[in-house]
Amino acid sequence: MSELSVSVSAPSVHPGSQLLPEAPAKVTARNLNFYYGEHHALKNINLALGTNRVTAFIGPSGCGKSTLLRIFNRMYDLYPGQRATGQLLLDQTNILDPKLDLNLLRARVGMVFQKPTPFPMTIYENIAFGIRLYEKISKSEMDDRVEKALRGGALWNEVKDKLNASGLSLSGGQQQRLCIARTVAVRPEVILFDEPCSALDPISTAKVEELIQELSENYTIAIVTHNMQQAARVSDKTAFMYLGELIEFDDTSKIFTSPTDRRTQDYITGRFG
Amino acid sequence: MAVQSDVIDDAGPYDRAKALSAFKLGDVTFYWITRLSAISVLLILGGIIISLIVGAFPAMKEYGLSFLWTQRWAPSADPPVLGALGPMYGTLVTSFIAMLIAIPVGLGIAIFLTELCPQWLRRPIGMAIELLAGIPSIIYGMWGFFVLGPFLANTFQPFMIRIFDGVPVLGAIFGGPPSYLSLFNAALILAIMVLPFITSISVDVFKTVPPVLKEAAYGVGCTTWEVVRSVVIPYTRVGIIGGVMLALGRALGETMAVTFIIGNSFRISSSIFAPGTTISAAIASEFAESDGLHQSGLILLGLLLFVLTFFVLAAARLLLMRLEKKAGN
Repeated sequence: MSELSVSVSAPSVHPGSQLLPEAPAKVTARNLNFYYGEHHALKNINLALGTNRVTAFIGPSGCGKSTLLRIFNRMYDLYPGQRATGQLLLDQTNILDPKLDLNLLRARVGMVFQKPTPFPMTIYENIAFGIRLYEKISKSEMDDRVEKALRGGALWNEVKDKLNASGLSLSGGQQQRLCIARTVAVRPEVILFDEPCSALDPISTAKVEELIQELSENYTIAIVTHNMQQAARVSDKTAFMYLGELIEFDDTSKIFTSPTDRRTQDYITGRFG
Repeated sequence: MAVQSDVIDDAGPYDRAKALSAFKLGDVTFYWITRLSAISVLLILGGIIISLIVGAFPAMKEYGLSFLWTQRWAPSADPPVLGALGPMYGTLVTSFIAMLIAIPVGLGIAIFLTELCPQWLRRPIGMAIELLAGIPSIIYGMWGFFVLGPFLANTFQPFMIRIFDGVPVLGAIFGGPPSYLSLFNAALILAIMVLPFITSISVDVFKTVPPVLKEAAYGVGCTTWEVVRSVVIPYTRVGIIGGVMLALGRALGETMAVTFIIGNSFRISSSIFAPGTTISAAIASEFAESDGLHQSGLILLGLLLFVLTFFVLAAARLLLMRLEKKAGN
């Protein structure tokens, strides 16, 4: 009986993943630890995100997936009492360097959040805003960049006639794709997705997943998800985390078909979590 | 046991409809109490307007529209000559300067408190702001009279006068002899008085910005200033303008502190360092000794303040609607 449930609920893995060769590391974590005040939230994390690969982070709530993601762009810096130790490299740059220019780091490492977060301005401005932070370009050039970004976010056809409407007037799924377009517009190298589909309906989810697949051609992607099928569908590598530790990190096909650790197997077959 | 069953028998079978009808009566009563409270606001407002108009009628009949553009205020002349231009000018100028100072400073404090301030400093500053709001206006008046006035007249005004001497327009605005009692002094005091309104309301609305929205802005690489300017303030602009309106309403109508330090001169001077008067200050300082046409003129001034405030607030609403439109809502 238990054998049966394993084979039934293990999600199917997207076919291309086994064929990809090992990619050079874009982000490398060595003995990474993280603390919320006294609470030791992440323990000795060692992993590497492959360049132009999708890495999924799965695990039960509170296991530290999102925390790990928020270290990659130093988002935790906004809050006092949170600190990271160890080593974390973006190419050769030390992300944890206190003297690092955070604005430049965040331009290189973009982030898409759980809830859509359009800024309180027009659709056009939502995209142009990020670009303007780094580049001074003419109006026509900006128009091009905005269109390109919106096409990149698979949103152009839906909004091209209402670029001056408020970003808040879009549906949830469209808002999320606007946020992805906004992130892409500043030409980052890494994009972090923190449960990007948890507030979306199935159709919007499918669109966002498709988009993530397309983006992985040009960007290194890390995605946190509670949806195992989603992890299996979109990612090349999967990391299973539990209680602040990285339990298993391997090719997605391997994790979902023959995990080595008992806890990984229990989690992906739905026995806990 | 026996006693208990007696009680139940007396009560008879439980009647649900009857119980509900009692609730219904309560509901109707509640409805009428709340409705009467709401209507009473309209009645009071209407009553005030009507009594103002009745009281101001003799002056309206005597002076007509020329009341609005007559500068001379000579209640003891025969016949008395009354014009509202001086007080109206003073009211608008002092409120304008006060808002010019209080809005940036108030918003600055609010931004510092919500975005930049270390945790331990937050409470002391927050409490100081609240205390500022609690100081009675007469104390502000005295402080303006005994401390701020001499400082302005001896130090600040000579400095400004020297700098702008001979510069067209600015020379006239900052020119003239230094004076303890001036429009500028009153405007400064007003700015301090309305600061807590702007700050505390802005702090409250800044706190309503979802943290994830700010993170998203930081996430595309914004600095704190860019996050505040492009996300926090646009997101909360309705609340901020509400706070500014409240402050403006207070500045337009503030009486006691202004009466103390404005000098009560009806003559309009180009210099903001010259004495002037406001509508409420004029009423407060003359009403007790007025009668006949003079008193009616003061009531007409009151009516004017009412109308002025109404128009300023209406203009602010209009501005807000246009902002909304521009933002694409």
